[in-house]
Amino acid sequence: MSARSTMSIHHRQARAAWMFLAPGLLLLTIFTAWPLLRTVYLSLTDYNLLTPPEWVGLDNYRELLADPQVMNAFGNTLLYAVVVTPVTIGLAMLFALALNERFFARTLVRTAVFVPFVVSLAVISIAFRFLLDPNYGLVTHWLSAIGLAPQQGALAQPHTAMAAVMLVGVWKNVGFYMVMFLAGLQSIPRELYEAAQLDGTSRLQRFRAVTLPLLSNQTMLVSILAATASFQVFDQIKVMTNGGPAMSTETLVVLVNRVGINNLEFGYGSAVSVILLVLILILSLAQYLYFGRRQVRY
Amino acid sequence: MAQRTAVRSRGLDHGLQQAWKIALTIAMVAIGLVMVFPIVWSFFTAFKPNSEAASASPTLLPQTWTLENFVEIWSAIPFAQLYGNTILFAGVVMVLSLTFDTMAGYALARFEFRGRTAAFIAIIVMLMIPYQAVIIPLYDLVHSLGLGQSMAGMIIPRTANAFGVFFMRQFFLALPRNLEEAARIDGANEWKIFTRVMLPLTTPALLTLGLFHFQFNWNDLLWPLVMSNNIAGATLPAGLALFAGQHVVEYGLLMAGSVLALIPLILFFLLIQRTFVAGIATTGLK
Amino acid sequence: MSRTTRATGAAVVALALAVGTAACGDGGGSTDGPVTLTFWHGLTGPDGPAFQQVVDEFNDSQDEITIETEVLPWDSLYQQFLTAATSDDGPDIVAMSGSRLAQYAEQGVLAPTDDFYADTTYMDTSVLADGAVQASMYDGVNYGVPLNLGPVLLYWNKALFAEAGLDPEAPPTTWEEFEGMLPALTVDENGDGSPEQYPLAVGDHSTVPVFPTFLWNGGGGVVSDDGTSSMLGDPATVDAAQYWVDLVREDRITPVGMSGADADQLFQSQLAALTLNGPWLTTGLTEAGLDYGVTRPFAGPDGDDILGDVVSMTISQRLDEAETDAAFTFFAYWESVESQTTWANETGFPAVRTDMPDGAVTNEWAAIFGAPEILDSVRPYLTGVPSSGEINDDIFTPALQSALNGTGEVADLFPPAGEQVQAILDDAS
Repeated sequence: MSARSTMSIHHRQARAAWMFLAPGLLLLTIFTAWPLLRTVYLSLTDYNLLTPPEWVGLDNYRELLADPQVMNAFGNTLLYAVVVTPVTIGLAMLFALALNERFFARTLVRTAVFVPFVVSLAVISIAFRFLLDPNYGLVTHWLSAIGLAPQQGALAQPHTAMAAVMLVGVWKNVGFYMVMFLAGLQSIPRELYEAAQLDGTSRLQRFRAVTLPLLSNQTMLVSILAATASFQVFDQIKVMTNGGPAMSTETLVVLVNRVGINNLEFGYGSAVSVILLVLILILSLAQYLYFGRRQVRY
Repeated sequence: MAQRTAVRSRGLDHGLQQAWKIALTIAMVAIGLVMVFPIVWSFFTAFKPNSEAASASPTLLPQTWTLENFVEIWSAIPFAQLYGNTILFAGVVMVLSLTFDTMAGYALARFEFRGRTAAFIAIIVMLMIPYQAVIIPLYDLVHSLGLGQSMAGMIIPRTANAFGVFFMRQFFLALPRNLEEAARIDGANEWKIFTRVMLPLTTPALLTLGLFHFQFNWNDLLWPLVMSNNIAGATLPAGLALFAGQHVVEYGLLMAGSVLALIPLILFFLLIQRTFVAGIATTGLK
Repeated sequence: MSRTTRATGAAVVALALAVGTAACGDGGGSTDGPVTLTFWHGLTGPDGPAFQQVVDEFNDSQDEITIETEVLPWDSLYQQFLTAATSDDGPDIVAMSGSRLAQYAEQGVLAPTDDFYADTTYMDTSVLADGAVQASMYDGVNYGVPLNLGPVLLYWNKALFAEAGLDPEAPPTTWEEFEGMLPALTVDENGDGSPEQYPLAVGDHSTVPVFPTFLWNGGGGVVSDDGTSSMLGDPATVDAAQYWVDLVREDRITPVGMSGADADQLFQSQLAALTLNGPWLTTGLTEAGLDYGVTRPFAGPDGDDILGDVVSMTISQRLDEAETDAAFTFFAYWESVESQTTWANETGFPAVRTDMPDGAVTNEWAAIFGAPEILDSVRPYLTGVPSSGEINDDIFTPALQSALNGTGEVADLFPPAGEQVQAILDDAS
């Protein structure tokens, strides 16, 4: 084959690739990347949505570094992410291992664990708020029937309010990650387990020697998705506590929504958004590098 | 002798195995019940009369069963219209997004070309953007394109999705390398290879990603709400939000509407349940 | 000038404008024909249909003006109005809470309604409740016309009063009387310190601002009436807040951390004997079959002001003269005796007019809420202050919640919060 025709094959291939890529990439560029660039621009302005933005340079960033409300929201976001991400991943893996075994009603349980993922978080958060109400909530009612009467409503106390929105966050996503792990488990060849079993290894040993390494790809992906979702948490907090009591559940996205829409400080809110995005990017990169080192090549 | 020990230990194992299985079954069924509990509660609350929705001694099952919430919902908000809008919005977005995501994912996975890494990194960054953060600039953009307050304006920005592209790329990466080589040698053009050779293999992945897109758009509150300044042009979550008003929350109607809104999602999931896990397994998502 | 000549005059001006701008093809109704105005409001509850009924009657009563309403939850309404206010898709008329209005007026997206009040072209506006009209003032200019006025009054559950051995027809009239009734109205059968029945149901967030009225009647407040100085750090405010925080923390008069909707639910489920709320609650309570009464809230040592929750109708700054005229014409129709009768009788809200003829208002609740002595003591909260949302939601509410939760003391929380409020007020002026 001549060099010329190889060139032209490469050329043709590249052209075909761009044809396939173009529509999606173009749409994403226009409707995701451009608004993002605009957000970055607005973060350098004073903008109230009603009158044209005014350039203020890095003022918003300077202000937010010294803003106790931003620091509070940052701390809450971090706390939420640090608890919810590993708990969700751990439970999802546990459920996947259990649901990979054969037992009565397995399909039903799989469905039950997955179903929260398809319900509307906004609506189900109202249900959660109702169930946890200290005075007419069914869960509270049952708890007090067995002598565990809560002194106050879960959503009225800073710590328990955070725990409640965390619970909803785990509940909503655990099923989706469970399915991802389940898919990973099913692609592990049976023979590997059989070989390990013949070596007289225990269940736990097999899990550590076979399952965990072969699931590392899923674990990485699930970790990145779960951490990203945690940092972006909004819906259930907006509905259940609106950031309260006393801002104890206000996360960064809730704060962005509040200062932008309620206080008409959209430029400032954009600066907080940009910081949040940078945080997520750094965190994802760190996870990629961490898991990348221990990844099993495929 | 060694053999006998093995047999005995197998018998012991068997007993342990049985006990383990029973414990596992009980534990998992309990977990399943806990997971669906809030949904089950919503379901039964939809059948409670308003006076019973909040009671000092609450019960899971209604004390008096009523269908009034299910009757009233159709007139309390333009429920049928909203249902139609939601099917149109979530359905069209799903179909278009699947198309563009699949094509882009295919290009990133199966072709070598200059700019591929850059494009992939761009997709990953877009995957990380909190959508709350860009909604106002996006709204401005859609309006300046003359698509404000229209279904098209609501749909078009959603017709490509960074997660979808990423997901399909992973799927195509996992397919054997030589699939398209044979077709290329036979002289098929790239579009034909894509549609005839590749697409038939993607069904499980498409169903999985389809459910993902469908549920996301079906349940999304903020974007349809911002994009339609009249309720008749919005989707179900925006309509249902009317029942959680500032002063009065109409739990019965809200739950009745939510239960009706959940039906297509559950059906969708049950329909594809068989292939769902397989859909993710084939992408390897690795 | 009679209404007809005024309308004709406006039409001539509009025609001139239309000729001048014909090429622009503005579909906003600035031509010499029927005018259609879009009207956004957030009356999502039982009051929505009553409002729509009046709008329909107005549309049927003439063929020059059509009002098209759109109902949205209040939160989304404000959010959408922000994004739409500067575009042509925005509404022509928007209903908004008096406490939100100043923010938009400050940015110049609303047009003044002073002309509506200037003379009797549209109606004699002196008959409108003053508290309701004042709620839409910003910087000496009026930007609205009252849609409704919701005085926040005391609801009491007669059955629970009787069970407690109290006179079911004698609700507390002062803070002291209320305090005296606490032992009787608190039920804690299992003695776990968490009552099964509370004396009062009051929310501390996402609610009509009830706590600020306690501050008023204790001689304090959040912001001074002229909107220029913070009062949160005043000794009277701190004392009044301390009094109520102690009642909540020590006597457990109400659960902590409730939203307004939670408080309504608590009262409706008969788990609280008293609540403070606007007229919108009556419909649900009556449906639920509660035996209850509504009266003037218990007075504090320094006053008996009543919170007036006012929703005003505002007009967009881009309305031309014909459209403004059409909007004002509808406003006058809304404030007419006939429309206000419909509104009051269907919803239990008081009529905004103070001169309703005897026998017109047959809804017992509307009559109570609209009693002249009630309407006279109505006081708006944080109206005319552009940063009212920030002051209430970001500073006052968190400080109050911290005190109620016991994570801080009133004396330590309120003065610094007051300084923050002052900084915001100074910033704005």
